[in-house]
Amino acid sequence: MNNSAPIVQRAQKRERDKFLPGTVVSFTTLSHPPARFGPRPRVVGLIELENGRRVLAPLVADAPYIGQTVRPRMRLSHVTHEGLRVYEVAYDEAPQVAITEAFSRYLLAFTGPSGVGKSTITKMLAHACSDYAAKVPILTTRAPKAGDDGEYLYTTSAEFDRLKNMGEIVAMTDIPSSSEDRMYGYRAADIEAIWDAGKIPVVVTEMELLQGLAHHYGRRAVLSFGLLPPGKSKRARLSQLLHRLRSRGRESEAHIRDRLKNAEKDLAFFGERKDLFDHMVVNEDLSDLVASLKEKVPGLSGA
Amino acid sequence: MQQDIFLVGSGLTRFGEWWDKSLRDLMREAIEAALASSGLQAQDVDLVIVANMLAEVTNNQAHMASLASSLLPHHPPALRVEAACGSGALAVNTACAFLESNRAKTVLVVGVEKMTDASSDAISQALMGAADSELDAPSGLTFPGIFGLIAKRYMYEFGLTREQLSIVSSVHHKHATENAFAQFRYELSPEAVSASPLVSDPLRLLDCSPISDGAAACILSTVHRSGTRLAASQIASDTLSITERPTIVSFPATRAAMEQALREADITRKDIHALETHDCFSIAAVINMEDLGFTKEGEGIRIYEDLHAGRTPLWVNMGGGLKACGHPVAATGIKQLIDVSKSLTRGRARYGLAHNFGGAGATCGIHILENTHV
Repeated sequence: MNNSAPIVQRAQKRERDKFLPGTVVSFTTLSHPPARFGPRPRVVGLIELENGRRVLAPLVADAPYIGQTVRPRMRLSHVTHEGLRVYEVAYDEAPQVAITEAFSRYLLAFTGPSGVGKSTITKMLAHACSDYAAKVPILTTRAPKAGDDGEYLYTTSAEFDRLKNMGEIVAMTDIPSSSEDRMYGYRAADIEAIWDAGKIPVVVTEMELLQGLAHHYGRRAVLSFGLLPPGKSKRARLSQLLHRLRSRGRESEAHIRDRLKNAEKDLAFFGERKDLFDHMVVNEDLSDLVASLKEKVPGLSGA
Repeated sequence: MQQDIFLVGSGLTRFGEWWDKSLRDLMREAIEAALASSGLQAQDVDLVIVANMLAEVTNNQAHMASLASSLLPHHPPALRVEAACGSGALAVNTACAFLESNRAKTVLVVGVEKMTDASSDAISQALMGAADSELDAPSGLTFPGIFGLIAKRYMYEFGLTREQLSIVSSVHHKHATENAFAQFRYELSPEAVSASPLVSDPLRLLDCSPISDGAAACILSTVHRSGTRLAASQIASDTLSITERPTIVSFPATRAAMEQALREADITRKDIHALETHDCFSIAAVINMEDLGFTKEGEGIRIYEDLHAGRTPLWVNMGGGLKACGHPVAATGIKQLIDVSKSLTRGRARYGLAHNFGGAGATCGIHILENTHV
């Protein structure tokens, strides 16, 4: 029974769930570890986790030392006689990233379903932080509409295709609609110009464009916020969106239905692609939200 | 102590690797020797307390209390206590509770362990039962590993060197040459310790107490008297896992038990001349000297340097300690009591102390003996 798979599993569950980095308090190399670990020496460390708890775990860093910062990772520990594969949390050296200055060439992205308040947020942000951030215009093939507020650059389908073929467009999408055919995208030149001006490009975007940006510039170059409407259930959130879309009175009921359909997909996307978001924020009180965004965006805190 | 309790008899087997002796044989040998030395009849014993940690695992034997009682003709009531390597001290402490409360007048305490029948991997795993099975063991840690962690941290904090640490085992081996019951009765140079194979960095093979068979028995009584009186019997506990402690370079249970014991005996450290401490690993011997308050934090090795140079009036582990005398886990705490009483008699000193702990200092028992002839 000693150290049977269930014991190991129970023992490690708590720490694995937390999966915290820590600091090496001490470590030792066991020349002859218990037989189940095989004949090779095994380094075991006493690690103080970020939350103050201490754990004993294998240490896989090449040259461990006391005081070293380590990070957890799962690995196969051993296979029992019954064929059970037992996994364990081992601690490895945390990569040493020398931060000499704030990473300046990054994008700030807000993603959320229509009606969640993206435009309002970015307007407020642009107003409060215009010295630090600038909105990236969206290139679109659709016709201008009443209610557009300078966020679009209008072009023809032919021109859009030409830019696309020249690699000038870093992300694009064809937003499905039953009423019109329209392309949207971001031009590299617009983003570069904002960076060159020493500001943070802000994109108010949707799922495909976000993926395109993350693909083009790298996920780490995008500080990504997911915006959720208030409400605990999907139904409550959608009804909140519907209310907002109707109350702004910009669009026909057919458009609103289209947007709501897309919104449903967008909300599902938050769950499916958590990796694309650094922060999920609920747009309930605008002033609170802008304040909390300022805290989370490097370079904006002084704004 | 609420009653005067005397150590009226004691008996030991030689510690070592005894292929031809069973758990029962070892226990019988120690009990018979204890009875013989006391001059009492077996029937004078009205309670038996057995200290044992591993019999179920290594000998397939539970119900140790009844096994011990079987060895006496009148089969007195018996019970078993277990606190890993601290079982011996816990058994003596339990005996004191019975004696002080008049539930018993004469108690036979016997500690026994038969470890060499099992493979070293099985023993190593069984001994890890003395640590936390969910917080410590799954990492693959063994007891040498736990003390390896402690040693590495201690060296980091206090600058103890490998060469200094090697003195500890050398001193213990020297003392064991005089002890007929010791497992290793030969001298060992510090250089030999430093050159022995690594077990759990920075600890080497000769830093570690061995796997041993052996038994130790003593008879404690409130109605029969002798020249050796128990002046204090105290136990203290700490968290089982070292992960739940703020420091690993000190054992708070030792500190607590020591303060309580000095208070109970109504003496100071300066009154103590003979010490048997729990040197399961050489680093533990160093830390013990600090926790017992005989030196400052980080300076425990100085006492061993003095012992090595023959400079200190303190007698430490004169029987060879766990390292050289051997460490049949639960017998150790009782053997220590016997060794302290021998030191007091031989050296005509008044007070001596036995310090025994289980796990990584999770249970600590301290007994102070008084030589009433001084």
